[in-house]
Amino acid sequence: MQFKIINRFFYLGAIVLSGTLSSCSVYPRILNFPYDPGGRSLNSPAGDINPQISGRYIVFGSDREGRQDIYLYDNQDRRLIDLPGINALDTIASHPAVSQDGNYIVFCGSREGRTDIYLYNRPTRQLRNLTESLKAEVRNPTISADGNTISFEAGAQGQWNIMVIDRTGNGLNIPDVLR
Amino acid sequence: MLITKAILTTRFCLQFSKLLNFLALCSQAVKKFPFYRSLSRWLALSLASFVVACTPTGPQEPAGLNSRYTDEQPALSGDGRYLAFVSNREGSRNILLYDLKSRQYVNLPLLNRRDAIADSPSISNTARYIVYIASDQGRPEVELYDRVTRSIQVLTRGYNGWVRNPSISPDGRYIVFETGRRGQWDIEVIDRGPEIELDRLDGV
Repeated sequence: MQFKIINRFFYLGAIVLSGTLSSCSVYPRILNFPYDPGGRSLNSPAGDINPQISGRYIVFGSDREGRQDIYLYDNQDRRLIDLPGINALDTIASHPAVSQDGNYIVFCGSREGRTDIYLYNRPTRQLRNLTESLKAEVRNPTISADGNTISFEAGAQGQWNIMVIDRTGNGLNIPDVLR
Repeated sequence: MLITKAILTTRFCLQFSKLLNFLALCSQAVKKFPFYRSLSRWLALSLASFVVACTPTGPQEPAGLNSRYTDEQPALSGDGRYLAFVSNREGSRNILLYDLKSRQYVNLPLLNRRDAIADSPSISNTARYIVYIASDQGRPEVELYDRVTRSIQVLTRGYNGWVRNPSISPDGRYIVFETGRRGQWDIEVIDRGPEIELDRLDGV
């Protein structure tokens, strides 16, 4: 008799347990990404900010090396990707965005008292200043997943406005101010 | 712009009055032949519905992207066609979606509420999904707006920690955001699961 009751409890427990276990697979859920104290992963003991995801890549800013730099993380291989030539000692880099193929990264770089929008070409390792001739404060750049369109904020008209350019730096033909 | 609008409306009014004259003539003719009265009624009804359905709003003039208020935090769709951003125009802070191809604003019904501030938008391939930060119950949450179903989903309900700066992957499955859970800013990734409708560029 006692055995039967225990048996029944066992089954009940099993049902409850399986219920809670299966409910753990409910989406949306938070993924567990490795945390590395040595700074070779997505998260580190330093501040990791402004993440942007595009396909298999997550690009973000971090001060894990003692200065504010841009990092690119590969979601699939779960490792950081080297970005030679993107981070300079005299530049504060922030607000990165990456195209889906991982070839183009735009970010905000502050150097010698001037903030500009930079485009990094990963295959050629070249860095290009997109706002060299623009006499305005700029911030918050972003790039479309296909890598062809770039948008950012500019303070040329005494307030924050949005500018849209193509990858070569030419403005798109969009009617601008509606007053 | 105002002048062209006025011209358009007057033109439309003229056409409409011509139409009314024509209808009046028709009705006079019909009075002579009551046999056709029921038929004429149907005709008038269908004509009216046609007029209502085809009321010209004028060729849609391209809308300007920027205003004389702050327009900030731009986010591009995967194909570069749509631009979502935050604007202070119209007396409230809202998320707007602009179509760079047709140069028109896209309606986002139910997204902007009077009792909540929406911030930091990010959009998927064809701007079907918009993720943003909104103060839902006095606490900032990462929310997801589906332009097809016009529904809003709170993704961080019950999440412990401050959240900031969300970004959605072009296909709409993954969302990254900043979390203050460990006492500093870290990056967290949400998987919406394999069951969701992905926002593909070819529309399949």
